[in-house]
Amino acid sequence: LSEETESGVVKIAAGAVVCVESDIRGDVTIGARTVVHPKARIIAEAGPIVIGEGNLIEEQALIINSYPENILPDAEDVEPKTMSIGINNVFEVGCVSQALKIGDNNVIESKAEVGRNVILSSGCIVGACCQVNTCEVIQENTVIYGSECLRRVQTERPQPQTLQLDFLMKILPNYHHLKKTVKGNSTPARS
Amino acid sequence: MATLLQPEKVLYLVRGEKKIRVPLSQLYFCRYCSELRSLECVSHEVDSHFCPSCLENMPSAEAKLKKNRCANCFDCPCCMHTLSTRATNIPAPLPDDPTKTTMKKAYYLACGFCRWTSRDVGMADKSVASGGWQEPENPHTQRINKLIEYYQQLAQREKLERDRKKLARRRPFMPQAFSTHVVLQRQRSGAPISALYGLSLKEGEDQKEITIESAQALDEVEPLPEDYYTRPVNLPEVTTLRQRLLQPDFQPAGASQLHPRHKHLLMKRSLRCRKCEHNLSKPEFNPTSIKFKIQLVAVSYIPEVRIMSIPNLRHLKESQVLLTLTNPVENITHVSLYTCEEGDPDDINSTAKVLVPSKELVLAGKDAAAEYDELAEPQGFQDDPDVVAFRKSNKIGFFIKVIPQREEGDVTVAFKLRHDFRNLAAPIRPTEEGEATSEAIWLTHHVELSLGPLAT
Repeated sequence: LSEETESGVVKIAAGAVVCVESDIRGDVTIGARTVVHPKARIIAEAGPIVIGEGNLIEEQALIINSYPENILPDAEDVEPKTMSIGINNVFEVGCVSQALKIGDNNVIESKAEVGRNVILSSGCIVGACCQVNTCEVIQENTVIYGSECLRRVQTERPQPQTLQLDFLMKILPNYHHLKKTVKGNSTPARS
Repeated sequence: MATLLQPEKVLYLVRGEKKIRVPLSQLYFCRYCSELRSLECVSHEVDSHFCPSCLENMPSAEAKLKKNRCANCFDCPCCMHTLSTRATNIPAPLPDDPTKTTMKKAYYLACGFCRWTSRDVGMADKSVASGGWQEPENPHTQRINKLIEYYQQLAQREKLERDRKKLARRRPFMPQAFSTHVVLQRQRSGAPISALYGLSLKEGEDQKEITIESAQALDEVEPLPEDYYTRPVNLPEVTTLRQRLLQPDFQPAGASQLHPRHKHLLMKRSLRCRKCEHNLSKPEFNPTSIKFKIQLVAVSYIPEVRIMSIPNLRHLKESQVLLTLTNPVENITHVSLYTCEEGDPDDINSTAKVLVPSKELVLAGKDAAAEYDELAEPQGFQDDPDVVAFRKSNKIGFFIKVIPQREEGDVTVAFKLRHDFRNLAAPIRPTEEGEATSEAIWLTHHVELSLGPLAT
């Protein structure tokens, strides 16, 4: 039974653009209008991952639901926790996200690392090369920036990248093969 | 290997007012005095001002008027990065027909690093891309300006009186005090003439008396609010000291009052030797150009010693260290090395004995075309293989023997480098016999190498 859940099914909703070169393993659900670039990795090891709509996951981004470090993967009493990611998030190039709960409109900039015990609410921006591995809920509209990971609160949330998403959804299929979506792929002719 | 190329390992001694030991790459060479100069024994002068982000040149008078700030560029008050102007489309009612709305462009300032925007402090979006942004006005400017005028007048008056007194005693040199110029003025022997000139001008002018009111001391101070100690601190709202002190006019304690300020200008400086008053370094006027009009840096005149490889150093055991010598000039240079004598006042840091090659080392001239010439022509130098490890165009590698004298700590050695220098500067006295235009003079430098810790 455990092996079935590990190899899991990748459910890609209609309207999502997921390139074949991306590495998706485990039980992953991807919402509509989400774009997953080639060489992005979404790995659901220790539980399923649910990704919402309108997200942008760029190259070499790593979204991983991994076992916590002090627990062996073979231990039976580990409950698989679901990692849920909201809508309109941006995972820029090379970022690593292990956070179990990510809200909406967040931006994780290039080469940033978000630990497992962090909960990003909405409108948060984790700056480039910043590592956040505390055990806390990040307040809404927080910007984490700088080499010392300074923080400040901004008054408005970052805009959803609708223009970029539309552009990519048009251009990426011209150059990459896409993974098959679950519904609405081949509609039989109705009489 | 990359760490051995660090220039801080090889220090040259500069015999100026203070004895300074610096790597050769940070030194200048005055070829009129034929001496090494460091940044501390030259005088620095401001050449030109420019803005680091828009690279716009600004004449010094204008810079002084604008308090050394650029007119177009702003700094983020939060992280001090340069702000960029962004545009959004907002629906705005047409002036003719209030019911229809058309998209109009609105501009706001935003920081790419910390995501600060001008909307955070309540600054309204402007309809023009540049020139619409104003810095907040300091409420005390008028008082400050009046005080400055009053004190400037007072200072001038005092200076006149002092000059009169000094003229009466007929002193030859006049130190220029209370100078309002940014550039330091050097002592000139023609000072009495200029002071007299100043006096005659001022007496003809009609001096306006400026009076100021003295500051009033208040007995009553506004009391602190009652919940000052009990109110919880809203951390994102509190400004850091650095953010606060960058705006000394207001020093806002809250982040919602941090307004952007115009960007500081940078300046290009020129360096001048204090003894002979010749320019050692003069940059180009154009801010986008990194070249120099005059560039008398030491690396283009003095042979440079670099450490190539260090073996394991053991206490009281002789080891060979491989060094390289590079010849920066185009003619052949002869270099001899000498160990420092006992009781040499410059030799204070060495912790090991060093044996340098006793023969003179010959370095070929630097040939700019040689790197494109694939055939390495034999240069015909007879090299002792015990001394010279390799030879490559204008560079040779040679061995020195090091005997660490201390059991612990870093190994530092020092020696003297003597080389011939041909002065290609225009000779002051024309040569009569028409012989070779330049004659060689011998320069000696004190070089210190830090070879790192002993091998354990």
